[in-house]
Amino acid sequence: MDVIKADILILGAGGAGLFAALHAYDRHPRLKIVIATKGLIGKGGCSRMVQGGMNVVLNEKDSLENHFLDTLKGGGFINNQALAWTLVSDAPKAVYELEVKVGCFFDRDEDGRIHQKPFAGQSFDRTVHVADLTGIQLISRMTDQIFARNIKVFEETRGLDLLTSKDGHRIVGALLSDIRTGEIFVVNSKVTIVATGGCASMYKISAPSFDKTGDGMAICFRAGAEFVDMEMVQFHPTGLVAGRSRLNGSLLEEGLRGAGARLYNGLGERFMERYDPERLERSTRDRVARSSFIEIMAGRGTVNKGVYLDASHLGAEFVEKKFPGMVERVKDIGKDLAREKVEVTPTAHYQMGGVCIDAQCQTNLKGLLVCGEDAGGVHGANRLGGNGICDSTVYGRRAGDTAALLALEEDLHPYQEAEAEKMRMRWLKPFLRERGENVYEIRSEIENLMWEKAGLVRTRLHLQEAAYHLENLIQKIDEASVADRYLARYNMEWNHIIDVANLITVCRMVVNAAKCREESRGAHYREDFPETDNENWLQNIYQKKGTAFQLELTKKPVLLSHFKRENIEDCFFERVKKKRTYTESCDGSTCL
Amino acid sequence: MPDSLHVKVFRFNPDRDVEPRFDNFEVPVFDNMALLDVVMHIQNCLDRSLSFRFSCRIGMCGSCAMYVNGRARLVCRTQVSSLRTQDITIMPLPNFPIIRDLVVDMAPFFEKWKKIKPYYVSNKEISEPVVVRPGSGEREIIDDMLDCITCGCCYSACSMVATNSEYLGPAALNRAYTLIADKRDAIRVERLKTVDRSYGVWRCHTQFNCAEVCPKNIVPTRSIQNLKRRCVLHKFGIVK
Repeated sequence: MDVIKADILILGAGGAGLFAALHAYDRHPRLKIVIATKGLIGKGGCSRMVQGGMNVVLNEKDSLENHFLDTLKGGGFINNQALAWTLVSDAPKAVYELEVKVGCFFDRDEDGRIHQKPFAGQSFDRTVHVADLTGIQLISRMTDQIFARNIKVFEETRGLDLLTSKDGHRIVGALLSDIRTGEIFVVNSKVTIVATGGCASMYKISAPSFDKTGDGMAICFRAGAEFVDMEMVQFHPTGLVAGRSRLNGSLLEEGLRGAGARLYNGLGERFMERYDPERLERSTRDRVARSSFIEIMAGRGTVNKGVYLDASHLGAEFVEKKFPGMVERVKDIGKDLAREKVEVTPTAHYQMGGVCIDAQCQTNLKGLLVCGEDAGGVHGANRLGGNGICDSTVYGRRAGDTAALLALEEDLHPYQEAEAEKMRMRWLKPFLRERGENVYEIRSEIENLMWEKAGLVRTRLHLQEAAYHLENLIQKIDEASVADRYLARYNMEWNHIIDVANLITVCRMVVNAAKCREESRGAHYREDFPETDNENWLQNIYQKKGTAFQLELTKKPVLLSHFKRENIEDCFFERVKKKRTYTESCDGSTCL
Repeated sequence: MPDSLHVKVFRFNPDRDVEPRFDNFEVPVFDNMALLDVVMHIQNCLDRSLSFRFSCRIGMCGSCAMYVNGRARLVCRTQVSSLRTQDITIMPLPNFPIIRDLVVDMAPFFEKWKKIKPYYVSNKEISEPVVVRPGSGEREIIDDMLDCITCGCCYSACSMVATNSEYLGPAALNRAYTLIADKRDAIRVERLKTVDRSYGVWRCHTQFNCAEVCPKNIVPTRSIQNLKRRCVLHKFGIVK
């Protein structure tokens, strides 16, 4: 096996990975930095797919405290408050840097300053954007900056596993595979940053890019990293309904609802009036998605099991000017977003849960930093639209800074050859058997299982079933084979087997934590425990690998560092009152 | 719509094959089917050894450009129905080396992209986002041109690229324009020199091949003409 030595290894080249590389390099240009990305540089992952934009406090009428409180409210108050505060207070620096140093140009207001648009769940219009396809510019410009620096980029190269030092306490790099040649090699590094994104793609209907399969999370899990609140998976309310096409579940951005687009069920009722009469369609993602789901499940959806999103009353010209990317996407399925209603469905979108980090992106394992969607705790039980790319950029910057400091302090610790060889043989197993399980069938089994048993509405029974089936699927994926046994060069099937093995690893944590949390909060809704239970559940759920690949789970009370219990009760009281009004006003059977 | 498609797919594995071949597949049609659905169906159900590249599936990443029925396209953004035929031929993008089957090596494209210094160089005097009123004209046509997703369609369609391996090509020159016209950038003049060469802007013969295939509806020819004008003015000493 080839061995490359580096100061810093970064897995993933989305917003978090790219910013980490830029910051580490600019701190100390002499550091040897290696970025490995599963796709082409700047093309993989979801930062590039950001549509709506990025939340940031820029206006003097707004305040960091407001953004912070919105983030906690949206997150059901189980956010790691220190991380959430870092998010909002670093965001203005990140946006300035993107404009002034990286060279982005955000849309301007009439007065010539950066325009900020309304997004759901926010007390102030604070989302900066580039029309309705913001990610293209963010990631393209960051990628260009990588080209300006002496940073080694391995494209179409994926991390397989993290390597540990002899005493087992330190991460000393990773085993990687070059997708183009199939060759497996070692990068021995002082610091390793994992930023490959989450895997909402575990669900039948989902929004992320197809290459996101929770690789980073699974890699960290196998190495012994600790995870937090993995039950929290966000469903975006407005995924496009496109039948069997791969377009199905792709997003129609939140700015549409922010601008006033409405949701109707199959009967033509504006159903959000019943679920959140005050905020209506501008309610938080968790509530809108669940409301739509309940309507659909109760048989009040459209023929294709969706609800209608209607932006036509905003005026065709307005919609075409403000949301050109969305109009074009909808055109692909033969509809006109500016002039007619369009079928949408809740679609799995984002994982709030992830690896536990501190504000410097450090984990429980020395030498391992995690940032972006792979990390958990910032968003609690539900992420606000516009806080996602905010998270990636804010924590990407921080991970880069921390990595540069650590790389200067630390020596390079050797990796263990025997460990690397064992891992290599494990991943090569699909080539060794003539016949075996079909990975594509396993993948669709997972997607259906997770959608039906561990999706928007959960029960203990369903989650137990999901857990049971996942154990079987782990066995199955271990017995998968590849059709093209003689060629590892750009072998899509082999890579998909690795993807799915990682996906299942993450699914297990999601299901296990969902089973444990016997209450409903944010994105996590338990039909058998429909109330939010602040008495017993202002808690975070932690998981890591126990003996024999089992899950070790613990609960700890949320650290209420900024907002105390009383403040939280006040906020919940407001919501509970609203919920009661609704219960009284409808006939009961399908109410929240 | 017909029930099924007759799909011819280009196959080549440099490690094993002496020369490329075409494989034929029958693919069932469904509503809203995109070309990406076609290649995925073939790979998942009919021949698992097929290789192609994709990521976002909604036209934002520019990973899945291929040459289909005589034209470079993003397969995720091309509806099967728009081809108006049952017979589909899928090949890798022209003007690029082949890695395997439909996967090409984008290196030549990005090498040229890097040549124009594609990175913004910050101006020390600017410490916060500049004030630019939307109707002021200060941004010229930059913002229309910034939507490039570096998919390589234009590069593969350009007949000047095909005949001159040195030519920078439409995407790189378009990127150069967006920086040279950006008043915030610190090395605009230096960058102008990198494109004011025989294999830079002057190689463009305004055939609009690039604009015809751009999935983002960008017209690189327009940026390139704009650069030519700037180059001439620069020679006259009228630096803009």
